Amino acid sequence: MSTSDPSKLISKADKLTKLSLTRWSADWKSATVLYEQAANGFRVARNYEKAKLAFEKASQGQEMLSSPWDAAKHMESAAALAKELRNWAEVIDFYRKASELYMQCDRPQPASDALAKGARALEDALPDDAIQLYTDACVILEDDGKEQMAFDLYRAATSVYVKLEKYTDAAAFLLRLGLAADKCNARNSQCKAYLSAIIVYLYAHDLKQAEKCYNDCSQIDAFLGSDQNRCASKLLSAYTEGDVEEIKRVAQSSAISNLDNVIIKLARKLPTGDVSAFKTDAANEEEPLDENDLT
Amino acid sequence: MTVIDLITRVDAICKKYEKYDIDKHKEANVTGDDAFARLYGVVESEIDAALQKSEAAATEKSRATAVAMNAEIRRTKARLLEELPKLQRLALKKVKGLSREELEARNDLVYSLKDRIEAIPDGSTAAAKQSGGVSGGWAASSSYTGIKIDSSSEAFESEYFQQTEESDRFRQEYEMRRMKQDQGLEVIAEGLDTLKNMAHDMNEEIDRQMPLMDEIDEKVDRAASDLKNTNVRLKDTVNQLRSSRNFCIDIILLCIILGIAAYLYNVLK
Repeated sequence: MSTSDPSKLISKADKLTKLSLTRWSADWKSATVLYEQAANGFRVARNYEKAKLAFEKASQGQEMLSSPWDAAKHMESAAALAKELRNWAEVIDFYRKASELYMQCDRPQPASDALAKGARALEDALPDDAIQLYTDACVILEDDGKEQMAFDLYRAATSVYVKLEKYTDAAAFLLRLGLAADKCNARNSQCKAYLSAIIVYLYAHDLKQAEKCYNDCSQIDAFLGSDQNRCASKLLSAYTEGDVEEIKRVAQSSAISNLDNVIIKLARKLPTGDVSAFKTDAANEEEPLDENDLT
Repeated sequence: MTVIDLITRVDAICKKYEKYDIDKHKEANVTGDDAFARLYGVVESEIDAALQKSEAAATEKSRATAVAMNAEIRRTKARLLEELPKLQRLALKKVKGLSREELEARNDLVYSLKDRIEAIPDGSTAAAKQSGGVSGGWAASSSYTGIKIDSSSEAFESEYFQQTEESDRFRQEYEMRRMKQDQGLEVIAEGLDTLKNMAHDMNEEIDRQMPLMDEIDEKVDRAASDLKNTNVRLKDTVNQLRSSRNFCIDIILLCIILGIAAYLYNVLK
C-alpha cells in the first residue's frame, strides 16, 4: 500500500500500459494494481474527477485480465463518483457497462441492481432515462425467473411515472406488477397492484378505463375474493352514484391505507373533477332501456 | 325479670284490654253469615298488603325487583277491581241484623273501596313523580294512575306513554352500550386489517428470501468442501516438505561428520 501521490501512481501505470518501442506488450497486471491504488487515493482526497478516471482505467485493466467481476465493480464505483459530479450521461453509461459486465459473469441479479442504482440516481434529473433503466432491470430479472425481486423496481418506476403525471403508463406498469406477482403466487401484492391501478385510472378521471380495468381484474380468481376487490367495487359504485362523501370514506379505509405511499396520496385526493358527470352518464344509459320496455 | 315473665305479662295485659281491639272484633263480626262483610274484609286486607308492597317497591334500589313488585301490585289491583262488582251486589242484599243506614253505608263503602284500590301506588305514579323531576313534560299523564277495566282508546295511549317512559331509559342505555361496543369493534377491526396486511407482506418477503437462502447454503457448502480439500492437500505437502527437509539435514550432518572423520584420519596418519 503505497502512500505516495496518486497522480504519480497513475502516471506510472500509464507508462506501463502504453505501448512503445521498448515495450511490446502492456503489463496490465501491475498497471491495474497501480490504477486501483491511485483511485482509492483520489477518492480519499475527494478528487472525484481523477478518481473516476482512475476507476475507469482500473476497470479496463481488469477486463483485460479477464475478470469481468472486478471490472464491473470498478465501473460501479466510477458511476457512483460520476453521480457525485452530476455527470448524468456518464452515470447512465457506466451503470450500463457495469450491468453488461455482470451479465458476462452470469450474474443477472447484480446486473439489475446496477441498473436500478443508476435509475435511482437519475430519478430527479432525467426521469425518462430512469424509467428506461428500471424497465431494463425488470426485464433482466424476469428473464432469470426472479420476478419477486422486480416488485420494488416496478413500484419505483410507477412512482416516477406518477411524478411525471403519465397515469396510463403508471397503471400499465402496475398491471405488469400484478402479472409478475401472479407468476410467483404473491396474491397480496397482486391484489394491491390491481387496486392501485384502478385508483390511478380514477385519479386520471377516466372512469371508463377504470371500470374496464376492474372488469379485467375480476376475471382473476385471486383478486375476486379479496378485500381489495370489495374496496374497488365500493369505490366504483360511489363514483357511478356521484357520492363524494362515500368516495372520501372509502379512500380512508384500511385497504387503501395499506398500499404504496404514492398511491395513498392519490387516493386521498380523489375525486378529481366533477363526479356528477358520471352520475348523468349512468342515468342516460338507463333511459333507452325504458323505451325498449314500453315497446 | 326474664323474657318469659315479660311475655306472660304482655299476654295478661292484652287479654285485659281485648274489648278495645277493633280488628279482632271486626274479624269476629266477619265470621258470620255476612258474605259482604267477609268479602269486604278480604279485600281490605289485600289492599293493605298491596300498600305495604308498594312502599317496599318505592324504597327498592334494584330496578328489576322494583319493576317486578310493581307488576305484582298492578295484578292485585286488577283482581280487586274485578271483585268490586260482586261486592256491590252483595252490598245491596239485605242481611238480617243490619239497619237501613248501614246498608246505604255499605254502598258508599264499596265506592270508596274502589278509589282506595286505584290509589295504591304501583310504580306508574312513582315513575311519573321521578320523571317529573327529570323531564317535566309528562304533566298530563302524571295524574293518570292505575288500570281501568273498561278503558277507552285514549286512556290506553296515555297508559302506553307511561309504560315506555321506564323502558325508554332502558332502551337509551342499551343503545348507548351498543354504540360503544360498535366503536370498540371498529377499532379492533382496523387493527386486525393492519395485522393482516403486515402478515401477508412478511409472508411474501420470506417467500422471496427462501431461494436466496438456498443459494447461500449451496455456495457455502461448496466453499467449505473446497477448503477442506485444500487443507488436506496442504497438510500432505507440508509433511512431505518437512520429511524431505529432515532427510536433507540428516545427509548433510552425516557428510560433515564423515568429512571431519576423514580430516582427523589424515592428520593422525
